[in-house]
Amino acid sequence: MLCENCGKNTATTHIKTVINGVVTEKNLCGYCAAMSGYSKFVNNGFASMLTSMFGDELATGNIKEHRCECCGTRFSDIAESGKMGCSECYEAFKNKLIPYLKRVHGTTEHIGKKLNKTSSALATVTVEDKKETLRAQMLKAVSEENFELAAKLRDEIKELEGREDNE
Amino acid sequence: MSEWYKSFGNEGDIVVSTRIRIARNIKKIPFPARMTAEHINEVNAIMKKAAANIPEDICGKLMVIDMNSVSDEEAGAMIERHIISPEFAHHRENKLLLISSDESVSIMVCEEDHIRIQVILPGLSLETAYEIADKIDDALSKEVEYAYLDQFGYLTQCPTNLGTGLRASVMLHLPVTSNNGTLSVISESASKFGLTVRGLYGEGSKSSAALYQLSNQITLGISEKAALDNLKSITMQIIKKENLDRAAINKITLEDNVMRAYGILKYQRILSSEEMMQLISRIKLGASMGIIDIDKTLPMRLLVECQPFMLQKLNGLMSPDDRDICRAKIVREHLE
Repeated sequence: MLCENCGKNTATTHIKTVINGVVTEKNLCGYCAAMSGYSKFVNNGFASMLTSMFGDELATGNIKEHRCECCGTRFSDIAESGKMGCSECYEAFKNKLIPYLKRVHGTTEHIGKKLNKTSSALATVTVEDKKETLRAQMLKAVSEENFELAAKLRDEIKELEGREDNE
Repeated sequence: MSEWYKSFGNEGDIVVSTRIRIARNIKKIPFPARMTAEHINEVNAIMKKAAANIPEDICGKLMVIDMNSVSDEEAGAMIERHIISPEFAHHRENKLLLISSDESVSIMVCEEDHIRIQVILPGLSLETAYEIADKIDDALSKEVEYAYLDQFGYLTQCPTNLGTGLRASVMLHLPVTSNNGTLSVISESASKFGLTVRGLYGEGSKSSAALYQLSNQITLGISEKAALDNLKSITMQIIKKENLDRAAINKITLEDNVMRAYGILKYQRILSSEEMMQLISRIKLGASMGIIDIDKTLPMRLLVECQPFMLQKLNGLMSPDDRDICRAKIVREHLE
């Protein structure tokens, strides 16, 4: 059978859709299927397995409609799609998720690369740490007679101290 | 360095390429399936700034490609070069792609996760490819607030990628083991190590060019090193098996098989992509076994450059019938 779209290659992806009892069939080749966004089922074995696992939960109606405070996703949404809503969903639905993680990965503890929080500019560095770094930079600037930079750093330190006082 | 399909790397007779993919997300921004246009713009802005701060000694300067400006043909050609996924190409509206000049590093922004770092190198090169991806990850972690929990590691949209977010894979040319039925035994034992085998350039598990992808599945409770070591050790076993099986084939049968493919490719006038892949696979085997004397990089280069979209990227838009004639001509000219 040839692909319905390009009429050139052999149709290898067969899609059956049932909408309101009306069955439509599409027969596409790999490229046309991929370009139409149908390639997902081919290599999505794990995700669909996960969805079907969550499916048990859906069927028994055990899901409390608690929503993630960050993105508003419900656990039933995650169960249906196999996708988490945002990073905060992992905290919000931690207990429900753990049995599934065990079944998919065989474990629930990450042992790989750790996020190096101190090296992250955006991570939670304490004000004291920041001041310490700035002081060192200021002293260096002074020793290099770069007074303009030193003054700028001094102002930054003052600003941090001001913020501390307000808290 | 040139693109993966134009080079011949370690164990290149069997291992065509190595790919590392690392999935990362940004804290508190909804994952891609729930993103609004504003969220996408926000992530794009973060990534544009972050990309500019990735040290150039890792992979040179990354180019920023606005996927809105990419045509269907160009997107198709990117899929064929394994730079982007079909999903990313299909839903590319307002998306961003960061890419190195040799295309070995690409970062898909807002694909299945906010950030997908990909490194693809010729041959078996797991350590080097991972090292590059890891350095980029380190550089990005300084610019971007990653979604991360100590217990679960790096948080991903799909929990199947949770933990390391690492998917490492090797593309293997297995014309003999896939033909004599031992591939199913291999994939069964690979699954015991949390690895999976699937066909490439063909749908389902069968590949028309005998190209198979071996990759890790488990990302939680396993370190990056252990995942890479497992993949490497199984790859080495598969290489050994394929080589043993290659040596065991009746010599004249093998020569006949290779020379017939070589003969057809040298003289044909119309060549479909399906037939091209089957025949190129046979001359790749022939080149590896010293049966025909051609440049060893040629089979993979032709295989990629003669895919439907790549062919049009390099030779202009044309109808499917004209493509088959153009493909025939290009292959013929290269084998003269």
